[in-house]
Amino acid sequence: MAAHLSYGRVNLNVLREAVRRELREFLDKCAGSKAIVWDEYLTGPFGLIAQYSLLKEHEVEKMFTLKGSRLPAADVKNIIFFVRPRLELMDIIAENVLSEDRRGPARDFHILFVPRRSLLCEQRLKDLGVLGSFIHREEYSLDLIPFDGDLLSMESEGAFKQVANMMIRMKREFTGSQNSIFPVFDNLLLLDRNVDLLTPLATQLTYEGLIDEIYGIQNSYVKLPPEKFAPKKQGDGGKDLPTEAKKLQLNSAEELYAEIRDKNFNAVGSVLSKKAKVISAAFEERHNAKTVGEIKQFVSQLPHMQAARGSLANHTSIAELIKDVTTSEDFFDKLTVEQEFMSGIDTDKVNSYVEECIAQKHPLIKVLRLVCLQSVCNSGLKQKVLDYYKREILQTYGYEHILTLHNLEKAGLLKPQLGGRNNYPTIRKTLRLWMDDVNEQNPTDISYVYSGYAPLSVRLAQLLSRPGWRSIEEVLRILPGPHFEERQPLPTGLQKKRQPGENRITLIFFLGGVTFAEIAALRFLSQLEDGGTEYVIATTKLMNGASWIESLMEKPF
Amino acid sequence: MGHRKYELYSMDWDLKEELRDCLVAAAPYGGPIALLRNPWRKEKAASVRPVLEIYSASGMPLASLLWKSGPVVSLGWSAEEELLCVQEDGVVLVYGLHGDFRRHFSMGNEVLQNRVLDARIFHTEFGSGVAILTGAHRFTLSANVGDLKLRRMPEVPGLQSAPSCWTTLCQDRVAHILLAVGPDLYLLDHAACSSVTPPGLAPGVSSFLQMAVSFTYRHLALFTDTGYIWMGTTSLKEKLCEFNCNIRAPPKQMVWCSRPRSKERAVVVAWERRLMVVGDAPESIQFVLDEDSYLVPELDGVRIFSRSTHEFLHEVPVASEEIFKIASMAPGALLLEAQKEYEKESQKADEYLREIQELGQLTQAVQQCIEAAGHEHRPDMQKSLLRAASFGKCFLDRFPPDSFVRMCQDLRVLNAVRDYHIGIPLTYSQYKQLTIQVLLDRLVLRRLYPLAIQICEYLRLPEVQGVSRILAHWACYKVQQKDVSDEDVARAINQKLGDTPGVSYSDIAARAYGCGRTELAIKLLEYEPRSGEQVPLLLKMKRSKLALSKAIESGDTDLVFTVLLHLKNELNRGDFFMTLRNQPMALSLYRQFCKYQELETLKDLYNQDDNHQELGSFHIRASYAAEERIEGRVAALQTAADAFYKAKNEFAAKATEDQMRLLRLQRRLEDELGGRFLDLSLHDTVTTLILGGHNKRAEQLARDFRIPDKRLWWLKLTALADLEDWEELEKFSKSKKSPIGYLPFVEICMKQHNKYEAKKYTSRVGPEQKVKALLLVGDVAQAADVAIEHRNEAELSLVLSHCTGATDGATADKIQRARAQAQKK
Repeated sequence: MAAHLSYGRVNLNVLREAVRRELREFLDKCAGSKAIVWDEYLTGPFGLIAQYSLLKEHEVEKMFTLKGSRLPAADVKNIIFFVRPRLELMDIIAENVLSEDRRGPARDFHILFVPRRSLLCEQRLKDLGVLGSFIHREEYSLDLIPFDGDLLSMESEGAFKQVANMMIRMKREFTGSQNSIFPVFDNLLLLDRNVDLLTPLATQLTYEGLIDEIYGIQNSYVKLPPEKFAPKKQGDGGKDLPTEAKKLQLNSAEELYAEIRDKNFNAVGSVLSKKAKVISAAFEERHNAKTVGEIKQFVSQLPHMQAARGSLANHTSIAELIKDVTTSEDFFDKLTVEQEFMSGIDTDKVNSYVEECIAQKHPLIKVLRLVCLQSVCNSGLKQKVLDYYKREILQTYGYEHILTLHNLEKAGLLKPQLGGRNNYPTIRKTLRLWMDDVNEQNPTDISYVYSGYAPLSVRLAQLLSRPGWRSIEEVLRILPGPHFEERQPLPTGLQKKRQPGENRITLIFFLGGVTFAEIAALRFLSQLEDGGTEYVIATTKLMNGASWIESLMEKPF
Repeated sequence: MGHRKYELYSMDWDLKEELRDCLVAAAPYGGPIALLRNPWRKEKAASVRPVLEIYSASGMPLASLLWKSGPVVSLGWSAEEELLCVQEDGVVLVYGLHGDFRRHFSMGNEVLQNRVLDARIFHTEFGSGVAILTGAHRFTLSANVGDLKLRRMPEVPGLQSAPSCWTTLCQDRVAHILLAVGPDLYLLDHAACSSVTPPGLAPGVSSFLQMAVSFTYRHLALFTDTGYIWMGTTSLKEKLCEFNCNIRAPPKQMVWCSRPRSKERAVVVAWERRLMVVGDAPESIQFVLDEDSYLVPELDGVRIFSRSTHEFLHEVPVASEEIFKIASMAPGALLLEAQKEYEKESQKADEYLREIQELGQLTQAVQQCIEAAGHEHRPDMQKSLLRAASFGKCFLDRFPPDSFVRMCQDLRVLNAVRDYHIGIPLTYSQYKQLTIQVLLDRLVLRRLYPLAIQICEYLRLPEVQGVSRILAHWACYKVQQKDVSDEDVARAINQKLGDTPGVSYSDIAARAYGCGRTELAIKLLEYEPRSGEQVPLLLKMKRSKLALSKAIESGDTDLVFTVLLHLKNELNRGDFFMTLRNQPMALSLYRQFCKYQELETLKDLYNQDDNHQELGSFHIRASYAAEERIEGRVAALQTAADAFYKAKNEFAAKATEDQMRLLRLQRRLEDELGGRFLDLSLHDTVTTLILGGHNKRAEQLARDFRIPDKRLWWLKLTALADLEDWEELEKFSKSKKSPIGYLPFVEICMKQHNKYEAKKYTSRVGPEQKVKALLLVGDVAQAADVAIEHRNEAELSLVLSHCTGATDGATADKIQRARAQAQKK
């Protein structure tokens, strides 16, 4: 069912099974019929580890969304709240419980905190006089949700968390309760998003990255405009066009998607057309099938071929949708400006394209993303330039955005240049962040994911594995935040004997989020024949420039 | 019947009084012995305080204390080796092995009123229970003193005097009481009292003098006034055997003596000077008792101790009997002989061995010797049997070694704990029943830490279950040593424990705090690697500030919040803020908390920190959220602006002042023109004015707020196109030279699908964008001309891509020619 998690060198399906088991155990503790009241935010992440059928098997009969006032009527014995430990949610729960108490037959209430129990929240429930109503109060450590064979995410917005603790937990899950723990990972690299503010701001140009940029991938699902997916049957006359968005799950379980997700979008078309030929050739085979045996053989392959054809149709439609966007003039202009910034052209002046975007009231997020990109690529903007942009934004989009601007400044995304020094060119040159000769079809370097720009974060990881950070010490000093290396000593018995040709495995943990393009770049490195390192990626949140900026925006009304 | 008796220890406990003058309690599994001398019986002078003494099974003194509480009726040991002393008033005092008082509980009011006549401590699978017979001849019991639930048993109808004897039974996990009154037996369960009759009981019984229940509650023995002993199952459904000993004197004690899974049944009956083992054989075994003795029933036999000796009586195990029976030809016996001869270098060794092998019984012989070794008490006997086993093993191809190795290990452990210094005379069967974990616990209870650790290391137990656990216990004991300084204790503990996995320093610290040694607890907590573990105890010890820094170290936000809320209640506001100020992380967390929960506190915090920037933001939020009236909003913004000035954020201050100006203006516009202006951005305000035809006002506003020319042009352009006011647009385009060029004019007209208007502007578009403009309006031919004129390859391709087959064929050719020409040059 979750085969895509088992492909990697480290079997992440173990982790998924562990969390599923925990969930079942909790549900079984509350004997009898149940209704689950969901903190809406959690439904997405939970969908990745347990389908409704699993809940149903454990007598979950109703599901509600957590809302104020009273719960919808449900004839169940248990009511279980699945919530994040947030105080505001506790208030709602208390309201629910109190109104339920007035309603009649006593129910059993339980609460499951995700990912951890909070004393603070329990105190709040106590203050509200309902703490005693809960029979089971437990935590469900859904810390790292396996997304793919090499990808884990915590899917939490507030990224202040203790990573070390989770590492310990992971070790435990991987090895059972044995005393000696066989190391699964050779290296752990923790990367704080602050080290690389640049990468997420740039527009991702891989297939998956673009789907995310344009439509937004939520918990591995994407919602797409339905028109292109309408079944093309003759005589249908296009009457019954579906109106509901088409929802697709995207992960490496789908063979075709696994092949193209990390490619530069410009290389996707040729793969799709090649695939189309292969598939139609395969279907043509049926005319050659003469004997009963041959026909049987053909029929046995049909389901797989049909699935492949369906998958191809879907991705062809998606690619068409994306192509409409990427071939638009505005997309081209925006990309040009981004690439100018990243290659260090005219970053210290007011950019006329940005100016025009503001004047034409393009979406604020787009504008902010560009201004921040310029700021980061110039080690901060000249005060005059910065003030000009800010004033333009406030006048055009409204004064209330002064709070958002302030947040961006606090996050370091937008800042005045200090001491008049621009460090970015040094960083760019030393780390080879800008590559002029990019091969989008058959990439030789990670820079293909942004058609020229090599993501700083991934470059750091690449240099760490070879030749080591000693060679770039000066740059590390310029980059924000302290850097340190630590070795975890292992008892000799546990030291792995590496087979010749066996790669080291590095767990790279992105604190503060990671983009699909960065993941693609890391996968590219893993696949390099002489790379010597494979990566498993963990993060606090899957993100892109838009969702990042959005998380920093503040609307006072 | 095969029973044997051997000496465990010669006792040198130097008892001053006879055992018969004391209350005696000995714990099973080779447990300790408690004596309470001089109990409150008859004429003894009340002025002399009795002494409670506790000895190991080998007679080593463990504790001695003056009894200062009330009269004691009965003593008994719990399964955890705690001494329960049942007082006459129904209060049960609980002492540790070393005479340390643990706690006390009462058996209820009814008991208190009627006094305790008799009491028994008994063991069930849940723990240890207490049964009380009160002066009113009623029973009260609790099946588990660890979880005290008192149960008053139903009344026995017509009971006028105390029963002649009684005991507790345990059937189907429920405790019952069996009592004898004259010739009748009654069984009490929690609901009812029923009269019972043992099947096959000999006639003529007018009273029962003693009753005994076996260790496992399976069997029951009854001693009647006719000197007759009935033995059967506890359920009273089956008789096993009977015996007539013809002694009518009431015995002092009667206990079962059987081994698990053995077919033999036997009880041991003790009178003043006589000990008798009786079973289903017609003959009994009799021993003469030289001195006052006491019987302790065990799982697989009976311990008998007196002033001078401590012996063990048990049924001879099968393996031992086979081997040691005179002239036995059992394979084990032959093997033992063979080995002895071998040592004498006699050829007989070979003969014996052959004999066994011929019968194909060598494996069995080895097994017998190993098993018998386990049942021997004397190490020399153990050794010779094991030697024989090892000898026999040499002649076997595939004998799995584990049983031999395990027996050697087990015996080594058993011999170590049987040593009289330790004094735990466990038999092999008892040891296996007890398990090594419990044995280790008992060693820890006796503070025999080094031995316990040696055993763990010898048996290679995992650290967490073994050494670490024992060290932790040791440390908990160590912190109670009041005569050693905090420094020394902490250092000693850390030296011994180091970073041993599985040791919780916080547990040890909690114990230290429990003993009132706060400073020591803090020192110990320093060694705790998991800072999260330190916090709750530190809070309990009122070291909140330390707790705060530890919570921060732990990185657990929830923990930090817990400490913060604790501190907030504990300290006054000023001190609380000061504390926060020194802990930036706590401060920022608390700010987050306040942002959602306590806005006013947030303001105070910013104020205290002189964080004017955030204060400004705070007031901006307030101007939107808290204020309705325009005056209020402007006032809030004024406060924000002031704060920004203080924060030296000139830009924000100016922007805020602009916003105030705009708000007032928007208000005026609404009053004068109607419509909605409030909370529109400046840009949108101007746009709205233009759309409403108030161009003058729009101009004015743009000037007042210094909207840059470029953007103003875009704005007007967009608004006029929206209005489709083409005339005004054209006028506007001619008002002066456009700062944004004329391509936008073309674009906007095309957006409104007005090609006619769009074409008006194409001529004015600058040369760089001309091609694009021409293509927009669909004038491919002219676009081609311009591109050719520019000799611009990119432009040429662009035009070419717009050439649609039929209509623009000529143009396409033209471009191709131009290209070819360009290449020639």
